[in-house]
Amino acid sequence: MRGPQDYGGLPAGPVDPVKHEHVPTHWEKTVDALMMLIFDQRRQLARVDESRRMQEALGEDYHKFPYYERWLQAVSWLMLEKSVFTQEELDAKQAEVRARLEAERDG
Amino acid sequence: MSNHHDHDHGPTHTHDGKPIQEDELPSIEAQILETSVRELLIEKGVVSGEDIRRAIEAMDTRGESLGAKIVVRAWTDPEYKDRLLNSSDDAIREFGINMSPMELCVVENTDEVHNMVVCTLCSCYPRPILGIPPAWYKRRDYRARAVREPRAVLQEFGTELPDGKQVRVHDSNADLRYLVLPERPAGTEDWTADQLEALVTRDSMIGVSDVRRPGEADA
Repeated sequence: MRGPQDYGGLPAGPVDPVKHEHVPTHWEKTVDALMMLIFDQRRQLARVDESRRMQEALGEDYHKFPYYERWLQAVSWLMLEKSVFTQEELDAKQAEVRARLEAERDG
Repeated sequence: MSNHHDHDHGPTHTHDGKPIQEDELPSIEAQILETSVRELLIEKGVVSGEDIRRAIEAMDTRGESLGAKIVVRAWTDPEYKDRLLNSSDDAIREFGINMSPMELCVVENTDEVHNMVVCTLCSCYPRPILGIPPAWYKRRDYRARAVREPRAVLQEFGTELPDGKQVRVHDSNADLRYLVLPERPAGTEDWTADQLEALVTRDSMIGVSDVRRPGEADA
């Protein structure tokens, strides 16, 4: 079965090397850094193929997520799977961060 | 929607030829998740803020100029070129680059063969050398078509190959990454390493274009 990530040979539009050039933003680099750090020799918390498995598990959402949001989702799920933090801890943290970011935005 | 998005999308390049960056923040949900994951990892002692800062710094040192040094060494030192093609991981260690746990395979462009690199399944790329892959490399258009109609894709990059030239497309994966050793242009026999390095572009090491022609380089 062809997974959502398996684009090889499918019909697709022209490549636009001018429009689709993009200097990574600081936010994207931060997500990139988190992934590279959990992969690194010192931590070895995950491997590239595990990150791929998580991204492919997005199913049809794979196409909707921007690239680094897929990565972020993969990091989050991997850390849950490996019990680095729990779903309860993540939920509590997200509620706290949401309140903080919304206060920053409105303040 | 914020005001600066209301205008029509105008020119995609500034006067000095650099693409205009769309430096948008991600969705609020993505910002919340990223901040939460990062703070939890710091609280758990898995990473520190300093680790993240250093990882970003290291990322910024990779790119075209590092790859160009390797290519020029291979152009100017036949013994090194032989090692680069036959035991790529060892050869790049001399430049302080460690591919582990991945493997590197360097493929050589010649009169007869043009090599081109893709990752149809994701965005696998020789990151320890070239850094973060370009946006087009990660997009469906390139991933889907590079393996079906590489010559058409090359034309979209402005690369026209002679009819008789064979195209080899290399599909990267999690464990094996490719780097193209482009052809050294004729007429550069007495050039210095610095001059030669200025010819080597990121895209020439992905194999979607040739190196700059002598006379095109800034240096």
